[in-house]
Amino acid sequence: MGTPSAGQIHRLGRDQLASWVDALLGERKRVFAPVLRRGLRVLRAVERAQDVDFAPGRTRWSPKEFLFPRTETLFSYENRDGVPVLADPPADDVPRILFGVQPCDAAGLVRLDSILLQDPFYARRRELTTVVAIACSEAAPECFCTAVGGSPAGQEGVDVLLAPLETGWVVRALSPKGEALLAPRRGGWETAAAGDWEAALEQAGRVAGSIGRRELPAAWAEKLEQSFADPIWDELARRCVGCSICAYVCPSCSCFDVADEGSDACGSRCRTWDSCSFRLFTQHGSGHNPRATQPARSRQRVLHKFAFYPLQHGGRAMCVGCGRCIRSCPVGMDIHAEVVEVMSGRPEKEAGDVQR
Amino acid sequence: MTEPTLQARTETAAPTWKPQIAAIVCNWCTYAGADMAGTTRREYPASVRLLRVPCSGRVNPLFILKAFEQGADGVLVSGCHPGDCHYVQGNYFARRRFAAFRSLLNFLGLDPRRVHFSWISASEGIKWARVVGDVTRAVTEAGPLTDWGRASSPAQVTLPEPPAPRPQPAAAELEAVTGHVRELAASLLREGKVSFVLGWAPGPSPGQTIPAFIQRPEDAATLVFDTHSHADLAAFLAGPRKVSGKVAVLVKACDARAATTLLAEGQLVREDVVLVGVSCPGMWRDDRLAYRCHSCDGEVGALCDFTVSAAGVQPGALPTGAKRATGPDPRDLQNAHLESLPAAQRWAFWQEQFADCVRCYACRAVCPMCYCGSCISEQHRPQWVPTSIDGRGNTAWNLVRAYHLSGRCVGCDECERVCPANIRLDLINRRLALELEQRFDYHAGTDPEGAPPLATFRPDDPQEFIY
Repeated sequence: MGTPSAGQIHRLGRDQLASWVDALLGERKRVFAPVLRRGLRVLRAVERAQDVDFAPGRTRWSPKEFLFPRTETLFSYENRDGVPVLADPPADDVPRILFGVQPCDAAGLVRLDSILLQDPFYARRRELTTVVAIACSEAAPECFCTAVGGSPAGQEGVDVLLAPLETGWVVRALSPKGEALLAPRRGGWETAAAGDWEAALEQAGRVAGSIGRRELPAAWAEKLEQSFADPIWDELARRCVGCSICAYVCPSCSCFDVADEGSDACGSRCRTWDSCSFRLFTQHGSGHNPRATQPARSRQRVLHKFAFYPLQHGGRAMCVGCGRCIRSCPVGMDIHAEVVEVMSGRPEKEAGDVQR
Repeated sequence: MTEPTLQARTETAAPTWKPQIAAIVCNWCTYAGADMAGTTRREYPASVRLLRVPCSGRVNPLFILKAFEQGADGVLVSGCHPGDCHYVQGNYFARRRFAAFRSLLNFLGLDPRRVHFSWISASEGIKWARVVGDVTRAVTEAGPLTDWGRASSPAQVTLPEPPAPRPQPAAAELEAVTGHVRELAASLLREGKVSFVLGWAPGPSPGQTIPAFIQRPEDAATLVFDTHSHADLAAFLAGPRKVSGKVAVLVKACDARAATTLLAEGQLVREDVVLVGVSCPGMWRDDRLAYRCHSCDGEVGALCDFTVSAAGVQPGALPTGAKRATGPDPRDLQNAHLESLPAAQRWAFWQEQFADCVRCYACRAVCPMCYCGSCISEQHRPQWVPTSIDGRGNTAWNLVRAYHLSGRCVGCDECERVCPANIRLDLINRRLALELEQRFDYHAGTDPEGAPPLATFRPDDPQEFIY
């Protein structure tokens, strides 16, 4: 084994991965990793590696909440004898690591960046965050990353990629942030054997092959936009009950509401997740609602992801195919199937363009 | 309630700590009684802040919730003695609401020393002084309320699971029911008796079914009935999700109770809907029988126009003969365990559950009883439920939801099934349903003409909890 250098691929035993997590915690970094809690697999700040669940599979919520929290205070105010006093929320500059997220989740953060990086709160947390993803070793029935340009070993938005081998892991830095995270460890880690990385990719290829859902080409965006007035949307979304699970489990949904909470004595301005599936989201003060029906609201979510956003942001869909919205929807709304269904009904479709 | 003193919550019980108690009092009796206490120089602790309302019947229990949320350590609600209401009946209605809300708070584990109710007339200045003294003592013993919206320590509760899983029903039986459902749906559509049939069809995930709106007779073949036909389709009969036109809707026993309650609440015109009862062998969640199905015999009740069983389609609401063996309700066993724990531990348990709530409102969206065009959680003036997805906002939402369903919930447990955070809403609903059954002999979903328990009263309703 020569002197370890940047760019080198390493091979880790099972225990080594856990001790790496413990070492990161020892360096006072905050580590968000999958844990099992109350029957839920969720990402949470962990205190020790033994709590981490390294098994494959998605977490109930995406990692976006660690960059774009469910609720956050933008500023607080206090009435001091008639003088309003404003205060910024306390600064939190602890470096953090999203450890063991799926590649689709990492790609979701890149989509979020295009919307939220202009926000100083988000941008600061993003700067402090390093993403360590684990390549998927199995696909759930709702997964469709390959349909939107992703992969079970996708590298978009990933700083360090871990891929499972039969007896451990291969680990590779994919960005300067990833390099910085691995640099202090390289001395103690074994260099991967020739073919380890390829074996891991091959495994990911098999997982990709097991995803049965067809591709949703970026070129569909314009035609989808033209489907806006198509009555098919009423039919597709008739069963949508108007909760916001889809938006809240989504790794790339970025909408929020801002509300002042408190009294004339003290309080705060809060930013909270919001969803286009809610009636109130577009309700005007006048009483008019441009998205008056639930199907219209449901259509908004699909078209925003697959038409409006790609047409404005360089062609890529604002969906990474994680399948969470399909899995958690109370009435089984399937965004992938909806897009396919709408396109199969478009008269302008090219021959052979759409097949289930 | 906006005074800085009330907002500035005392975090630790300093020796100088004095409780903040919100007293919500009726203008015609207790308010005057408090005045009487003052004019007669009667001494009592200066710990209460009076909020005057025109009648105890005006007291929405959410006032109590709001008081705690904004920093009160205790709440006293006081009105006129039964029979003395200035508006004849206000305090009778109030008494029922307080019973339900108090039971909810107790079940969630809020220290019972913090919530008090009394009847104090305008001439009872002495009683006012005594009650305020008693309430102040109780709240002082309970100490500062520091865990509203959060668990002060890990709850560490493991709920008991029901014994051995039951065998799944025979596939052939379910297939026979499915076949008859399809035939009936096709014929209703073909004969133009309905414009839609609402049933269940396979969903995108394995073993999942989803609500299906069948419009053409040939599409009836996509309908299925199996042990995962969970959705309570009565949710599409009223409110913002209401399907227009005449519909036939497939109902299991629990869904039929929901339709019955909608009728009782005037949300459904009986002639607009064809109710098709389906003989139900119980629904499965993962590899276990759904909790609600343990104590249910699967019979669809007296309301249906058709009853479908493996034997065929029968017109009318007939017993299907497919009676299942029933056993104790696991939800009751789990609730009994929860109620055997100290209140503080129960509070921590529920706060941990609520902490995971993301306010997606899926519980509301699938509930057949949540038919309001505009939910109180969407109202901003005043804002009853903070929009923030945090302990305070989540506690408010979950209390509001549970209370609004008390005496109305039919126990279909859809809210619990769809909750992405696995919050045990079914346990809360069940506990409140039993409370109202025991107190007012009201069984939600059994009588399409019965008045909902909180919309009526009896002059001799129990009031053991009122000073």
